[in-house]
Amino acid sequence: MRRQPAALAVLVGATLASAACGSSTPARPAPGQPDKVAAGVIAIVDVAPIYLGKQKGFFSQRNIDLSLSTSQGGAAIVPGVLNKQFQIGFSNVTSLLIAASKGFPVKVVCNGVASTGDAKDYSGVVVKAGSPVHSAADLAGRTVAVNTLKNIGDTTVRASVRKAGGDPKAVKFVELAFPDMPAALDAGRVDAIWVVEPFLTAATATGGRVVAANYTDAAPNLTVATYFTSVELTKSNPDLVKRFTEAMNESLRYADAHPDEVRQVLTTYTQIKPDVAAKIALPKWPTDINRQSVQTLADLAVGDGLMPKAPDLSALLP
Amino acid sequence: MRRGLVGLLAFGGLLEVVPRLGLVPARYLPPSSVVARALAAEARRPAFWTALGGTVRTWLLGLAIAASAALVCGIVIGSVPVLRAATASTIEFLRPIPSVALIPLAVLLYGTGIRATLVLVVYASFWQMLVQVLHGVGDVDPVARDTAESYRLGRVARVRYLIWPTALPYAVTGIRLATSIALVLAITGELVIGTPGLGQEIAVARTSDAVPAMYALVLVTGLLGVAANLLTRTAERRVLAWHPAVRTEAPA
Repeated sequence: MRRQPAALAVLVGATLASAACGSSTPARPAPGQPDKVAAGVIAIVDVAPIYLGKQKGFFSQRNIDLSLSTSQGGAAIVPGVLNKQFQIGFSNVTSLLIAASKGFPVKVVCNGVASTGDAKDYSGVVVKAGSPVHSAADLAGRTVAVNTLKNIGDTTVRASVRKAGGDPKAVKFVELAFPDMPAALDAGRVDAIWVVEPFLTAATATGGRVVAANYTDAAPNLTVATYFTSVELTKSNPDLVKRFTEAMNESLRYADAHPDEVRQVLTTYTQIKPDVAAKIALPKWPTDINRQSVQTLADLAVGDGLMPKAPDLSALLP
Repeated sequence: MRRGLVGLLAFGGLLEVVPRLGLVPARYLPPSSVVARALAAEARRPAFWTALGGTVRTWLLGLAIAASAALVCGIVIGSVPVLRAATASTIEFLRPIPSVALIPLAVLLYGTGIRATLVLVVYASFWQMLVQVLHGVGDVDPVARDTAESYRLGRVARVRYLIWPTALPYAVTGIRLATSIALVLAITGELVIGTPGLGQEIAVARTSDAVPAMYALVLVTGLLGVAANLLTRTAERRVLAWHPAVRTEAPA
């Protein structure tokens, strides 16, 4: 009985002590120290180059101490960049266009990931074996699962349907997380699923059939996602942004030229098994942002009512 | 205890048999032996232990903050009738708000670090404990209160000898209930926000289509919950050894 207040005091003391330890990463280092850059990414295939580049020392060579944090999606990354928890974020182009159209001060610094540009892409719409759906046009009147409604998934799938001559308005979309999609397709809860790797390989391995390469159909060599920062950082520390962009471009070039190393680095930051990593289709990692394709995504987003009007692309893109 | 273990083994056996018989596709629910192997593989990964440490840290820190805040607020609010009347409806309004609904706010304020998840953990467990402490403070025996009054006990002495012993069993129950809630919210925060910890590892395993590894990590969170429950029950018995509800040798 008498010992309890002491125990309580220890508890409170420990709480206060650990609360005091919390601090955020400063953007400006002490003289002679490398610049600390925190980047918010998603633990998916798309961001392999930044992990590979960090491993290869492309960032440390340019005096950047890069730390990578994984989030579930862009929903946490854009606020993270705006409130300076991250200096750099990774996001798909449609999300960034929507953010920019809402007036969020975001600025693209370099390319992130692009589609392969052919029918064997790292993203696709899959139906069950024996499904009556044989082309994107047949998706009209069907239910298609996408990971996020009103984003890059449904707009590009509609583009596939439109291109194949079907009625894009007649496609019904439902929201499901990628990992849940193969099971939903097997159980017949949806008619088709839009998936990216490694779920594309997983869904086709059990007999699924790819009926559309939606990224490829939306635009040739579609720029799918990019790395971005806040407008504020481009003004307060343009040199850091420039060095990051150079390091990132070197990483993209290296990743594009060394697929085997990409497959290896995948197993370090994801839980993708080495045998799966060896099989999956890899995206392309060009250094150039395909501006025409960004314009296409903006048009698709406006056309499908995701945003009232497209933001100023010349201000958003580098 | 032993019967509980038998039940657990039976459950494990069931999870082995159901996918093996094909009642549920093994691809989506791997047999428990496969999950056990994935767990062994996890235990060899340093990242797993870092994540486990991260979860335990967020969990205990959140619990400690909530417990200290709830004890102080509960005793202060509970002993001042005006304050109690003034806050009653506000507390009843704030208490049922699911902590998870605060995720966007937490991310906006604190990004994806430990502080964002702490907001959820503290919010959820604070009300649980506050309500318990308030009940405890309200339960002070009127005769004892009058006696304290007659002896002109000071404010501090009254808290120490009157309120504290009455409220303690309630507070301890509150802590025990909040412990599991705090764990749930710590994992949720990591899963959804991406704060480093077991929840984030579950999310990574999920997006990597590593189903056995995902179940192995889920299993670890369950084991954490069981361990926490055992610990808090033992602590409860020790702290309240003098209380009639716990005292076994001399029933009141």
